[in-house]
Amino acid sequence: MPIVEVRGLTKIYGSGDTIVTALDHVDLTVEQGEFVAVMGPSGCGKSTLLNLVGGLDKPTSGQVLIADTDIATMTDRSVTELRRRRLGFVFQFFNLIPVLTTAENAALPLTLDGVKPAEANDRARDWLRKVGLGDKLESRPDQLSGGQQQRVAVARALVTDPALVLADEPTGNLDSKSADEIANLLKQAAEEWGRAIVMVTHDVTIASHAHRIVFMRDGAVVDDVALGADPAADARHAMERAGLL
Amino acid sequence: MNVSATLAWRYLIGRPGRTALTTLAITLGVALIFGLNGMMPGLADVFTKTLFSAAGQVDLTVSSPSAGNFETSIADKVAGLPGVSVATPSLRRSAGMPNSSAVSVITIVGIDPRSAQKVRSFNLAAGRMLSDGDAGQVVIGSDTATTLGLHVGSSLKIPTVAGTESFTVAGLLANGSSPSAPEVYVTLPDAQRMIGAGGLINTVEARLASGADRSVVEAAARRRLGSDYTVGGLSNESTLLASVQTANYMFTFFGVFALIMGGFIILNTFRTLVAERRHDIGMLRAIGADRGTILGIFLTQSVIQGVLGTVVGIAAGYLLTLVALSWYQPMLKNIMHINATISPSYSAGTWVAAIALGVGVTVLSAVIPARQAARMTPLEALRPQAAEVEERQRSRWVIVGWVTLTASILMLFSKQISLVMLGAAATLMGLVLVAPALIQPLSYALSFVLRPFAPATADLSSSNVTRQPGRAAATASAILVSLAVVVAVLGVVTSLYAGFFDYINKSLGSDFVFIPNGLILGGANVGADESFVQRIADTPGMGAVATLRLGQAEIGKSQVQVVGIDPVDYPKVASFTYSKGTKTSDIAKLGQGRTMLVNGITSGQQGLAVGKKVALQTPNGLKDYTVVGVATDYLNAKLSTVYISQENLQKDFNVTSNVLVLANAKPGAPKPAVKAALGRLVANYPQFVLYDSATFKATQTALFSQTFVVFDFLIGMFALPTLLALLNTLAISVLARTREIGMLRAVGTTRGQVRGMVVAEALLLAAVGVAFGIAGGIALGYALVYALNSSMYVMPYYFPWGGIVVAVVAGFSFALLASILPARTAAKLDIVTALHYE
Repeated sequence: MPIVEVRGLTKIYGSGDTIVTALDHVDLTVEQGEFVAVMGPSGCGKSTLLNLVGGLDKPTSGQVLIADTDIATMTDRSVTELRRRRLGFVFQFFNLIPVLTTAENAALPLTLDGVKPAEANDRARDWLRKVGLGDKLESRPDQLSGGQQQRVAVARALVTDPALVLADEPTGNLDSKSADEIANLLKQAAEEWGRAIVMVTHDVTIASHAHRIVFMRDGAVVDDVALGADPAADARHAMERAGLL
Repeated sequence: MNVSATLAWRYLIGRPGRTALTTLAITLGVALIFGLNGMMPGLADVFTKTLFSAAGQVDLTVSSPSAGNFETSIADKVAGLPGVSVATPSLRRSAGMPNSSAVSVITIVGIDPRSAQKVRSFNLAAGRMLSDGDAGQVVIGSDTATTLGLHVGSSLKIPTVAGTESFTVAGLLANGSSPSAPEVYVTLPDAQRMIGAGGLINTVEARLASGADRSVVEAAARRRLGSDYTVGGLSNESTLLASVQTANYMFTFFGVFALIMGGFIILNTFRTLVAERRHDIGMLRAIGADRGTILGIFLTQSVIQGVLGTVVGIAAGYLLTLVALSWYQPMLKNIMHINATISPSYSAGTWVAAIALGVGVTVLSAVIPARQAARMTPLEALRPQAAEVEERQRSRWVIVGWVTLTASILMLFSKQISLVMLGAAATLMGLVLVAPALIQPLSYALSFVLRPFAPATADLSSSNVTRQPGRAAATASAILVSLAVVVAVLGVVTSLYAGFFDYINKSLGSDFVFIPNGLILGGANVGADESFVQRIADTPGMGAVATLRLGQAEIGKSQVQVVGIDPVDYPKVASFTYSKGTKTSDIAKLGQGRTMLVNGITSGQQGLAVGKKVALQTPNGLKDYTVVGVATDYLNAKLSTVYISQENLQKDFNVTSNVLVLANAKPGAPKPAVKAALGRLVANYPQFVLYDSATFKATQTALFSQTFVVFDFLIGMFALPTLLALLNTLAISVLARTREIGMLRAVGTTRGQVRGMVVAEALLLAAVGVAFGIAGGIALGYALVYALNSSMYVMPYYFPWGGIVVAVVAGFSFALLASILPARTAAKLDIVTALHYE
């Protein structure tokens, strides 16, 4: 069952001589429990695609259908509510609130949605234990390593049981070991907990954890490769074909 | 607690330094409003008790609206009114005691013992009450006796117009006395002799018959006595109470100014918070926080900070009240002879003003940044902040600012008091509005000064200041208001100082001054009769002698002080400060019928010009006086005063005693010897203090310095926000440019150059603020002096050079001080960390 369907998605910035086409008629479908990596050179439109799918930006044309509703036509309030209940976000720089504890950070989307504090706290703690931070529930972000902070961000993204998790270079600020752990966690989220994951990355090793890699260049999808039994080799070959290696 | 409140609270406690800094801005304003106004009810209460001490226990009081003396027969008229069971005459006058006495001033109360005891209750603790025919006997309160170490049978020396007289303490009263000037009861004939008011009284007190309607009796008394008498109590339209009210307004005015400065600082603080929490805002919006939640976080924080700042401000204000009162009370004792304990007391209005302004200003200042934060899209907030973006030029507001400034100049020169005051406010508002547009050219021009010393950092710091004109303008505005008040207050102080010393030289510039034991003439002190003056004149080596006498009158319903001078003698030893159109020779006109000179306050309040005829309410009825000039002397500069001849004062006000004597030594006479002889003479008149001109000026200089401590304190309080504003802005500036500083360090900028850049930025911001502050301060100072000139004190306007110097020194010193911490932070930044800072 498709969780998100992107049809003819186009985003143009500027006007006149300064016009830049960031996305050019992109089509993409992501199913439930699927982990999709998006790769491409800088400026190819990966993050723009993620922002449009996440309702953080409005497309110039085309549709982003989530549960058969085009989010481009929704009001700001409706999109905000959709993000709160149906989507999860993981950012490159973790973006945790420095003055809140690990548990409070993970519980934020629930708190924002008006869930009772005790319930929000319980659910956040469950997810933190699932991502391996059961012993860091009361820590502040500055008391955690980068990898641990990103685990909190993943728990925060999953705490509302969203259909879709969007991760924008979630390993870009981590060492290789932590990066690998986060990629595995996202894969677990897709395979074990049934979430659809869309992850933007530059790192082929990280991308090889996904089920599928979408390659982009100049705002368009140039390849869409399902990874097989040897995902690392498949990923490398696909990158060579796309001219990224 | 909802998410907005939780986050707001956590952010506050997570950044204690920032929280303290911002809270301090609110605290300052609230402390000023609350603290200074906390003295007022206590002061007013003491003044009221002093004024009304005679009216406390009786059913009906009759006095002269002018507080002057009148015939004893009025008591008989009151006694004959239907509903009045008994009436008693009395004569009250305060008298300065010798400096060695434990009580600095007493109130001599002459009573008719028999009738007085039927009207008032005199509870004796020891001895006996006065009886008819007693002479040289006094009855005093037990508390006063304890203070003075007296008992029944002791001797008490009391000043009289004919010198000090000894009285025997006949009895001690159990009831307490007036806190400021304890009553000393003597028989009426004794009092009339002591005060020099033979056959006269100044109060009639009455007890009503059982069942009599007080309002009916009062109405009957008014009909019987006419408008020449006040029935029902003493006037509460006291000059002192009016001064308390004026001080109340002034303190609130200063407090509001302090809060406006605080507002600018808070505005910048919340701008910083929004910039700092940009990514937090982006993340929150991305994960589903709506705009209301973001707005709520910042507004909740502002409410918490406003409440916190207000609570701390109220506590600080209470301490301020205690400190101010501990400083004021000796002043009241020494200068006004009010010896009372004043406790902090706060009116409902003071509470409301402090709380509403403290919380209100904080929330209002946070609204703009909070709305900006809420309007940010998640994507805008999440994007790396590559460089600070030039803020929108608010050109429309800048045009309004220029128009306001132009109008303000016209208003300042309009010579209409209300327009002049409006002009000063408009100047400040105009400067605030045009500040964003002037930041760039001013900063660029000022960077030329820095360029020879540090070419690279001068350009960088100039561009740093101008890239955020809104933030720089808010900082400059806070400095502007802060330093404008400093310049204005110092301008007013300079003008007051110079103006009053001009008065002293003219009106008290004689070789010797016999001045009441206290500076202010008001309060109907016991003076001295002609024999005292004659003895001064007869002292070997003595030249011209002139005296001042004192009465009270009403013009309309306003009280005025009436000073009696001898038009021939007075110009020989003193002169007035004359307003335009009046000259020395006009004094001679006081000898021609009922004529008077009026001082600046009276002229302003009553609209009196030369040639105008006005009715003075005297103890002997309404008398028409013609204004022959506008002039002011030193002692009466602060009080509404008219000057008439001593002949008219005696005729219309029944006053013959002298309350001030001015004397010149003969040319060549040995002044020390003359002074020694005069000193022996004045020893028997403790209500007077003898000064030679040099000592008197030195005493007054010391008094002024003591009085102006309050201004020094205000100046300090107002200069402080400059430091806070600069510290805040520089901290923001360094924080927002962390990556840029990392880049500069990476390409070879030394730590010293980075430090220099921040210091230079501080100096440029301060320079702009100082320039605006001086411009605003000159306008505000001019308006304040103009207002004082029009309504109270006549004084020349002095350009506030001193204030300008203080503003420049304070502005740049604070800039250097404020830049220490941010400059060190910037210089110590780790290059790699800074380059990765988001």
